[in-house]
Amino acid sequence: MSPTEKRTTHFGYEEVSVDEKASRVADVFHSVAARYDVMNDLMSMGIHRLWKRLTIERSGVRPGHHVLDIAGGTGDLTLKFSRMVGPRGKVVLADINASMLHVGRDKLMDNGVGGNVEYVQANAECLPFPDNSFDCITIAFGLRNVTDKDAALRSMARVLKPGGRLLVLEFSKPDNPLLTKAYDEYSFRLLPKIGQFVAGDEESYRYLAESIRMHPDQETLKGMMETAGLDRVEYTNLTGGIVALHRGIKL
Amino acid sequence: MRSDDEVSMLVTPALLLAGCERTLNALLARDPAAPARLEALAGSRLLIRLEQPHLQLLLHFHRGGIDLLRAEALDEAGADAVVELTPEALSEWISGTSVERLMFEGKLSVRGRTHLLESTRELLTDLDIDWESELARWLGATPAHSLAEGLRRAARWGLRAKDELMADVSEYVFEEARLLPGRQQREVLRDHLTDLEVATDRLEARLKRLHRRLTQQNSEAQEKSVTDSSGETPT
Repeated sequence: MSPTEKRTTHFGYEEVSVDEKASRVADVFHSVAARYDVMNDLMSMGIHRLWKRLTIERSGVRPGHHVLDIAGGTGDLTLKFSRMVGPRGKVVLADINASMLHVGRDKLMDNGVGGNVEYVQANAECLPFPDNSFDCITIAFGLRNVTDKDAALRSMARVLKPGGRLLVLEFSKPDNPLLTKAYDEYSFRLLPKIGQFVAGDEESYRYLAESIRMHPDQETLKGMMETAGLDRVEYTNLTGGIVALHRGIKL
Repeated sequence: MRSDDEVSMLVTPALLLAGCERTLNALLARDPAAPARLEALAGSRLLIRLEQPHLQLLLHFHRGGIDLLRAEALDEAGADAVVELTPEALSEWISGTSVERLMFEGKLSVRGRTHLLESTRELLTDLDIDWESELARWLGATPAHSLAEGLRRAARWGLRAKDELMADVSEYVFEEARLLPGRQQREVLRDHLTDLEVATDRLEARLKRLHRRLTQQNSEAQEKSVTDSSGETPT
């Protein structure tokens, strides 16, 4: 295998070079940023709010905690975390995409969130924070788009305080064959059409469906988290395994 | 991995809780007294442990309302006050029995900042929702005021009409149609019945006495006739 062949990765069902993936993902999110929340509600029929709610319940965040919300996008989790950590705590909303970060910052400011939130444009693979600095890290629907997932998980484990939790909320593999069939029909036929109709961007939503299929399943991700140095890794299937919430603790 | 049952159990309470949280915060947003109370409570966390059904609920107060979270993983250190209560105690507490009384009766166990509990109850039970200003937001101040006035007038009229109807019906039933006896008539009837009862008792006693006397006289007469007839016999 030549070095050039080795350095390719998937972008949905396409094979692209490693350097190219980040910019292609960035293009996708630049184009959907403005309508991101509306599309989330439409695509998941509002269930994404419940998934995020469960993530917050599992996070065990308390007043005074430092929380990092990676790929926080439009700041759904950050909004709640900032209330939970209070004025003594801190929430960092990190996203690799400037457009998403702008949308998120505007939305949070409109909701009266200020003092305890910081905005950082950062790549999850090399987080610009010192070791052992966060009590909780969440990445909701973001890991899928990271080029080197193992590096990202290692980086997260590094900045997590001992005893801190990493929560990964991500699309996964449904365990029921009937549900899988219905889900495939929905995401490959209906979803791009909704994307075309609402956000005027069919390609981005086709990428979304494809990238979900390429993402590691529950057990694989669990293994990856353990390899990255997290312990007591467990996962919970939500909505029949369409989404899984993984939680690992740094000991 | 968790089983499917557990998963479905996860999503349904989350949905219920999300619904409760939304409703509660929407109501709080319409109560003019709530912002000041929430301001005082902001940042506090109250952990409620229900025995039956087994449930741990974390109430996190912030300026905009309350976050309701299920707190399976949370330890007590994260909460300012912890309440353990039974469903009966919960209903008594919500219906207004004071926390101190429930604690003395041993139905409620509270640790931490106990006054948090009293403020929470105040916040939730003294909800005085300002419907008129909510209407004003949708319709404008003047139409909202006339509509609210109209509704209030209708409510007053309704109450008065109800009272009048009750009075009319009772008058008709008791006085005009005499379908049912009134209280006074019933009492008179009861007195008469008591008199009658006493009279019959007396009569019964008199009859018994007469009967007794009669049987006594009969037996005496028989004895006499027997002695008479034996005296007439020649020896």
